[in-house]
Amino acid sequence: MLFFNFSSAYVRSLPACTLAILITGTAVTASGQSVGISVELLDSPAPVNSHLSRVVSDTSGQIYLSWVSEEGDLARFSYSKLTESGWSRPELISSGSDWFVNWADFPVLSVNGDNMAAHWLRMSAEGSYDYNIEASFSDVQNQDWSEPRVIHSDGVSAEHGFVSMLPLKEGSTLITWLDGRNTKNGDEYGEMTLRAGIFSSSGQILSEWELDSRACDCCQTSSAMTSSGPVVVYRDRSAGEIRDIAMTRYLDGQWTEPRPVHGDNWQIAGCPVNGPSVSARNEQVAVAWFTAKDDTPKVQLALSSDSGASFTAPVLVASPETNGRVGTALLDSGKIIVSWIDTSSAQAKIMLSVFSGAAELLQQVEVANTSASRRSGFPIIESVGESVYVSWTDLSDSPQVRVARVSVK
Amino acid sequence: MKNSVSRFRRLILVTILLATSVSAHSQEGDWQIVNYWSEWCAPCRIEIPMFNALAQELEFANVRVVGINFDEDPRDVTLDIAEEMGIKFRTLTLEESASLALRAPDVMPTTYILKPDGAVAAKLIGMQEREDILTRLEELGLAITTDVSRREAQ
Repeated sequence: MLFFNFSSAYVRSLPACTLAILITGTAVTASGQSVGISVELLDSPAPVNSHLSRVVSDTSGQIYLSWVSEEGDLARFSYSKLTESGWSRPELISSGSDWFVNWADFPVLSVNGDNMAAHWLRMSAEGSYDYNIEASFSDVQNQDWSEPRVIHSDGVSAEHGFVSMLPLKEGSTLITWLDGRNTKNGDEYGEMTLRAGIFSSSGQILSEWELDSRACDCCQTSSAMTSSGPVVVYRDRSAGEIRDIAMTRYLDGQWTEPRPVHGDNWQIAGCPVNGPSVSARNEQVAVAWFTAKDDTPKVQLALSSDSGASFTAPVLVASPETNGRVGTALLDSGKIIVSWIDTSSAQAKIMLSVFSGAAELLQQVEVANTSASRRSGFPIIESVGESVYVSWTDLSDSPQVRVARVSVK
Repeated sequence: MKNSVSRFRRLILVTILLATSVSAHSQEGDWQIVNYWSEWCAPCRIEIPMFNALAQELEFANVRVVGINFDEDPRDVTLDIAEEMGIKFRTLTLEESASLALRAPDVMPTTYILKPDGAVAAKLIGMQEREDILTRLEELGLAITTDVSRREAQ
């Protein structure tokens, strides 16, 4: 049972990058914990007609916002850094008029100390659905972005995408993606694979693996670093069309056999377009995901205290008035944040649920109104200390990326 | 030249569209099979030929096949995509489908069977096969004699 005491919205003297505190509140949980929360809408460095945003931080806590803006056929992938005086001047990473620009499968920016990696999708053939993952790297020696390179070596015109990136040591990056090279093997549409590779700070491929030979075709992948090594979560696809969330872990130089995080037994011969999200801190791992067995939409959260070797039974975050689009983040205090979309009213809402490290719901707050439509895309969250940064596409006027900072006390 | 041909083709498409334009209620009295599709959805693309055939087969049984572009593309873009995907049944944009009052699907593809009054009779999640649809129609009490089965009977 939660007891909420929200104060009315107010505006106070704020840093230049902050527009307003939209809402504040406290909640007292059944176990007596008092949790305060405030949501601040920040100014956005992204222009009108921007979307497909991501917010990401580096190990120092520096926040970066990336987005795609469009003008006619030209797509531009840019980013900005949040400084004490506001957002830095946007920097262009890449642009193109032959990109595959998609509401669910969109560019990633990864920051690793002085190094950065970024990807986008470029059409590879006449077929509307064939596209490559192109990546560019910026390292200490070469502060400019490298010449783009296709990160997969198959040479097959097929679907490649749903990328996640994870910074590794010495400026290298683990890149995970869905790879459709086997979908074009025969007359019938073949199976989507999950692949991963480690790329050096200058973009050279150091290792590459097939992690799963049969994954769901169009759900996002997600990766995180535990004290035991990287973990990757994705939507699996069994021979019987069970499409539950699976995890594989990189241990002792090899990837473990993928295992379900939980057996939802959701059987569908289709695409939910709703991938899982994983966050980790030392041995603590949180995975949130969407499922809809028996046509009942649910957002669930499962926790691990052994770097993903085992998981608790899931706790229900939201159901049935949700269309998922989840995100996760871990605070320094060990609290867990899950973002999801509430569809209980005509106006969908971006929600954050705050859980204790023991999966007790501490607080739930609405960050912003949004749309349940595809054009609103997937909100992305990232934590720094006891704050969570949220980015999304606002469709109330022309599409524009928005950012909020949620502080949890 | 190419542009002229393209414009001409678009004109034909629009003409066909206007001739067969469906507001959601223009086909009252018919059962409807409403298929949500998207260009990026591989199973959607796979089942399109089946729905093309079914649309013809069910023409004489007062069952209409209607497609809805799951993405929020405007009509001209929807028509272009539908043409690229080889869709030969009537297609609505998502905006145009609002009057059907269907919950946007959680999974692509999703296919609804609607009664003549617009009520949802069945929701079929994921890729369907011809027999799945016909069996479900039969379960709903529709004695379907498709054009194909007529020909087979003859």
